[in-house]
Amino acid sequence: MKQDIVGLIYTGERADELQDLTRYRAAAALPMAGRYRLIDFILSNMIHSGIKNIGIIMQKNYHSLMDHLGSGREWNLHGKRSGLTILPPYVSHDKVGVYEGMLDALQTNQAFLRRSVERNIAVSDSNVLYQVDYTDVVKKHLENKADITLLYTKDRDVRRNGRGRYLQVANDLVTGIEFDPIIPHYENTFIGGFVARREVLIDLVDRAVASGKHHFSRNLLAEMVAGGIFRVGAYECPGKVYAVDSVQSFFQTNMAFLNQEFRDQAFNDEKPVWTKLRDEMPARYGDHALVSNTLVADGCLIDGTVENSILFRGVVVKPGAVIRNSIVMQDAVISRNAEIENCILDKQVTVREDVRLIAPKSYPLVVAKNLTI
Amino acid sequence: MIQQHKNCVAMLLAGGQGSRLGILTRHVAKPAVPFGGKYRIIDFPLSNCANSGIDTVGVLTQYKPLELNSYIGSGAPWDMDISNGGVFVLPPYSRGDEGEWYKGTANAIYQNLAFIKQFNPNYVLILSGDHIYKCDYAEMVAFHVSHNAALTVAVREVPWEDASRFGIMNTDSENNITEFEEKPKNPKSNKASMGVYVFSWDKLRSYLEADEANPESQNDFGKNIIPTMLAAGEKLVAWTFDGYWKDVGTVESLWDANMDLLMTPPPVDLHDRNWRIYARNVGEPPHYASPKGEIKDSLVTEGCEVFGKVSHSILSADVHIEEGAEIIDSVIMPHAVIKSGAVIRRAIVAEGAVVGEGAVIGEEEGKIAVVGSNTVVSPGYVLKAGGQLGE
Repeated sequence: MKQDIVGLIYTGERADELQDLTRYRAAAALPMAGRYRLIDFILSNMIHSGIKNIGIIMQKNYHSLMDHLGSGREWNLHGKRSGLTILPPYVSHDKVGVYEGMLDALQTNQAFLRRSVERNIAVSDSNVLYQVDYTDVVKKHLENKADITLLYTKDRDVRRNGRGRYLQVANDLVTGIEFDPIIPHYENTFIGGFVARREVLIDLVDRAVASGKHHFSRNLLAEMVAGGIFRVGAYECPGKVYAVDSVQSFFQTNMAFLNQEFRDQAFNDEKPVWTKLRDEMPARYGDHALVSNTLVADGCLIDGTVENSILFRGVVVKPGAVIRNSIVMQDAVISRNAEIENCILDKQVTVREDVRLIAPKSYPLVVAKNLTI
Repeated sequence: MIQQHKNCVAMLLAGGQGSRLGILTRHVAKPAVPFGGKYRIIDFPLSNCANSGIDTVGVLTQYKPLELNSYIGSGAPWDMDISNGGVFVLPPYSRGDEGEWYKGTANAIYQNLAFIKQFNPNYVLILSGDHIYKCDYAEMVAFHVSHNAALTVAVREVPWEDASRFGIMNTDSENNITEFEEKPKNPKSNKASMGVYVFSWDKLRSYLEADEANPESQNDFGKNIIPTMLAAGEKLVAWTFDGYWKDVGTVESLWDANMDLLMTPPPVDLHDRNWRIYARNVGEPPHYASPKGEIKDSLVTEGCEVFGKVSHSILSADVHIEEGAEIIDSVIMPHAVIKSGAVIRRAIVAEGAVVGEGAVIGEEEGKIAVVGSNTVVSPGYVLKAGGQLGE
């Protein structure tokens, strides 16, 4: 059956609590699970829901995201009947070239919304990691005769004191919504994904922007829930959900992949997670390698000790080097007898011989891209 | 359709049955046999083409071509999904009331002269689909051009004591080939043919047409075309290749070539970023090394889950090694599962095989044991050195 959903991914989230990790990249481009970027999970999830046309709203620092996505070929989004549309902000008569929020981005890109032929639209934030079949969500949305249906989770790990969007849900309808509460009252967290009829979304965006509103959830959703005219549906996202909005949660989300159960949820043989290729050889273990509870990508050369860690592509671990509880990104080098613990090494970081970098477990140390320590 | 003129078109002979690989080629053609964890044998000549600037390759298939066809696909992994060239799978086909299988290496090319003609190339490179090596074909073509040759044969210098096992090119001091001897008892040269040729297109066409007209001919490059060209006084030169090269036509040599990847430094460096060997992506997550397992001196590919002990071995994509299983000096091909307590030693376990609990495959000494693709080995089964198990 022909799929009738167009996808849209918003990558303009605030990323200030991600420190140096988002200095040169959008949260959507954060490295994840050894060989992926965060957006790969959302994209692949949409593709496995049968979505063939996907727009990606870019906000800032989008160079690495553009480089990663290319023509969309690795996601099979480069055909005539499928495609990836990059939607960066631009300067026009009445815009300064930065989106003021998702509503503004949707309004600016209404050409994309209008030009699409699919009757339904699935919109997602990019700083979350979850698996859902949007076909099921749309089905529920239609059954529920909702105007918009929000994805939520009961997973308590995504709750944050003082921030987030929480929903009161009754009979699959949202009956209450709160924003950034000091302590959330509602038990359901809105995860930043929703579906709607495309025409309905265009209409909602038009009206909201006409009355000077920019914030999708704070203005538009809140009014829809409070006004009683609209039906705001709710759909519980199955499985684990991770929000990647701080260094700690970035660390935690990567480490979640060491858990077999979560790996099975995220990597289904029938539904591979696609990503940009690098044509690396298989990982090479030397005689001194001692590797335990670790995810290792291709291209690594390991001759040291690695425990409870994630090694991205092309990481070099020299004899005598020790890596514990750490995330080591692409092409980093850990020299002889160097030791790191609870660290996040960004791409191409070199840790020199005998250097020790030990951070507390509760506060992982981020070493910015290209540094030599 | 008018194709763009190409300086050099490559023709890759991938039709051989590879019967010396036993059950490993019962369901797939030799070039599609997995190698080195994430590659297939054909990735080496195809990547060499890509790295040498050759973007038009005909792949001649005949035996069990399905897996090879789907592996090659659009040619995108080797940058060959282009509109003015690319990779073309060329099976034998019927021509009116004619049509026949490829009778020999030369006949296979003869039957595809029309394919080559579309590109009106200056040179045609003939390759084999069963060699592991990294070679800059552009250098060989340049050598051919500078020597104004009709045919250039790639050779490598083999130990003199082995020379009588090969097709030997006797040359003068200027690399001109004066004589070709197949497996000579008393070799006069140690330059063994690699089965890689550069022909000037007009010469290739005229000699193939003449060869086809000769009912006595076996239609083979080594046996027929080269001797005929020598007799006619054509300029044939030998181009010496001095890098690593391995014919992986037998179980032992396939295992050897895999084990060579574990040498330090490896004789064929797959980590070389200036000469990458490309392969079709399997879309697997990074591999997981469990606290219960131990991996030493091995290559482990994405998608593996390792809960057992692995030493001096190669684990291909999506291999599962259960707790208590042990893999030593072995090659485990994609999607195989080794159940707990099984011991694999000096063996090749082919794609999708499942080795049951406590089974013992191979021995410390002797020939390589082989478990065929998708074979289910029952718990406790013992397969001796040199044994082959499978459909």
